[in-house]
Amino acid sequence: MTSQSPEARRRGFIKSPFDFAGGLFLLFLAAVGLAGGFNLPTGTLSGIGSGLMPRVVSILVAAFGVFLIIQALLVEGDRLERWHVRGPVFILGSALVFALLIRGSTLSFGGFAGIPLLATVHIPPLGLIVAGPLCVVVCAYADKDTRLLEIVVFAVVMTLICGFMFKEMLNLPIPFDPAGLIPDAINNAYAGVKWAIGQAFGFVKNLFVS
Amino acid sequence: MFDYLAKFTTDLAGNLTFGMGVALSVRNIALCFIGCLVGTLIGVLPGVGPIATITMLLPITFGIDPTGALIMLAGIYYGAQYGGSTTSILVNIPGEATSVVTTLDGHQMAKQGRAGVALGIAAIGSFIAGCVSTLVIAALAAPLTAVALQFGPADYFSLMVLGLMFAVVLARGSVPKAMAVILVGILLSTVGTDLESGEERLTFGWTEISDGLDVAVLAMGMFGFAEILRNLETTQARDIVHGAIGNLLPNRQDFKQSNGPIWRGTLVGAILGLLPGNGAVLGPFASYTLEKKLAKDPSRFGRGAIEGVAGPESANNAGAQTAFIPLLTLGIPPNAVMALMVGAMQIHGIVPGPQIMTKQPHLFWGMIASMWIGNLMLLIINLPLIGLWVRFLKVPYRLMFPAIILLCCIGIYSVNNSPIDVIMTAGFGLFGYALVKYGFEPAPLLLGFVLGRLMEEKLRQALVISRGSFITFIERPLSGCLLLLALILVIIAVLPAIRQSREEVFAEAD
Repeated sequence: MTSQSPEARRRGFIKSPFDFAGGLFLLFLAAVGLAGGFNLPTGTLSGIGSGLMPRVVSILVAAFGVFLIIQALLVEGDRLERWHVRGPVFILGSALVFALLIRGSTLSFGGFAGIPLLATVHIPPLGLIVAGPLCVVVCAYADKDTRLLEIVVFAVVMTLICGFMFKEMLNLPIPFDPAGLIPDAINNAYAGVKWAIGQAFGFVKNLFVS
Repeated sequence: MFDYLAKFTTDLAGNLTFGMGVALSVRNIALCFIGCLVGTLIGVLPGVGPIATITMLLPITFGIDPTGALIMLAGIYYGAQYGGSTTSILVNIPGEATSVVTTLDGHQMAKQGRAGVALGIAAIGSFIAGCVSTLVIAALAAPLTAVALQFGPADYFSLMVLGLMFAVVLARGSVPKAMAVILVGILLSTVGTDLESGEERLTFGWTEISDGLDVAVLAMGMFGFAEILRNLETTQARDIVHGAIGNLLPNRQDFKQSNGPIWRGTLVGAILGLLPGNGAVLGPFASYTLEKKLAKDPSRFGRGAIEGVAGPESANNAGAQTAFIPLLTLGIPPNAVMALMVGAMQIHGIVPGPQIMTKQPHLFWGMIASMWIGNLMLLIINLPLIGLWVRFLKVPYRLMFPAIILLCCIGIYSVNNSPIDVIMTAGFGLFGYALVKYGFEPAPLLLGFVLGRLMEEKLRQALVISRGSFITFIERPLSGCLLLLALILVIIAVLPAIRQSREEVFAEAD
């Protein structure tokens, strides 16, 4: 853990930025824990209240945070790893896109913390047929080598496969096309093929049963 | 003594036969098969470990009865373990954490045109390990369950403290960081409505999390999303073995060389797998170190020694299966994957613990027997399908990760039919990414999260019984012993000598 490279020694006050940042991160989490449970009763030892556990654990987390920070000031350590922006933005963005579109949602801008309500946007429920490809395309841009045409085709194919697997075979209640975006002709053709396959299966089954 | 032994063996045989009866129904065989196949398929993909695989595939078990669902999930789990080693050998990228060491000699063997033999011996070793550990589970289950039924709340609490200490000792990297991350997990477990008083805790008035955080959401975020974020940063050179895979069946010389490593690996893996925390991951590393120490010519290791594949692969599989023991007998998940199994069981309305064996024997023994069947299936289906897996590995990562993300989104959405869950998963993805950036391991956090709730419950019960006296934890002999052991472990973890040897074991991978 202790790299003794010349540049590591040159850093001044904080000898291990890696552990220092880790300690700060723990302090932040402990603060959130304490803030979230500050009004809960601690109770007595024979009847522990709901607030005791979060408080004790938060304090312990904070203690480890302080320990790491002190250690970071005393012992040489690694430097911070770089945070990439592209990956997180597109990957998390794609999950957001999926969540907002799959069943529709209402977004409000403002209206909290004293900011007046600026605008509300209603997204109709679009289902997997829209959310799926968009999710795939958006997250594909986390990688800079992505080619648009390739990923669009891939997104549509993946969505259709997933729709077939989860909706048709596993009967999960995931909305596929609630807005009716798929033309009736395709739906009818699909229903026809499904019917025909069902009939064929029934016919074969009857051959064996009787 | 002999009477007891005779009764024990007849009971064991009877139970296993009963389990076979359950597992050998056409339906359950089919479920086991699908589980193994799908598990292997996803396990082969680099960067998708068993945790993400199980979470992703959780929804596909919803429509099945609990026994079938667990048989399938177990199949997915050890299927994913199997798939991981295929990737290690053929691409030099560990399919998951437990097959890191397999890359060392396995990939070298592949480069020498012996990929087939490496895959073959991995499969055979895993099969032997699987058979042995199935027997171990069956043998240990009854006595351990009997012990578990004697446990009071104080004993349970102390046992979990001991378990978390094991997780600290077996974790990689810094000890204070491992302890801190477990505490963060416990803190996360307190989010939601308090079961006794009904008060909302740490929800900040957000009603979506008043039921508490979902273990699937947490696991998928930290192991599915965060993993992809990390993979995108390091452009791994994919060193796929070109040309023929070669003969799959090892020759007599290979068998002679691997015989010892397979049995030793099975033993090491089975014991380490029982331990909480990183036990199952440590098994392969320990086995590799052991074989290298025992070898007449250690310099062969790293250059395609078949022992370096046979031992770790057996240890890997043995550990994966014995990890079920604490879950099935004590109701305490020993690692992150088993924590997810708890989540899966709860979805199907099963409370893990000693009462499963007495109240739902068909589920218990059916699942255990299915593991043996599953191992046999993996041996049979995997070897002919290797060509297919290779083709899968040729799909570029720029197409693979969007597909994985889509599957993750659909999977998480389907658990509760809730879009908010998808957003929270993404949030935990970022959280997991941050953890790794600051040098914290996500696996102990998940363990702390799952044990946290149970621990608080048992702590409260114990203190109500003892009328607020902490002495009860030391006074009860069982609880006292467990706490003493936990204390010894803490001391061991901090001792410099042990820390060094721990790092040595992991250093084999670097």
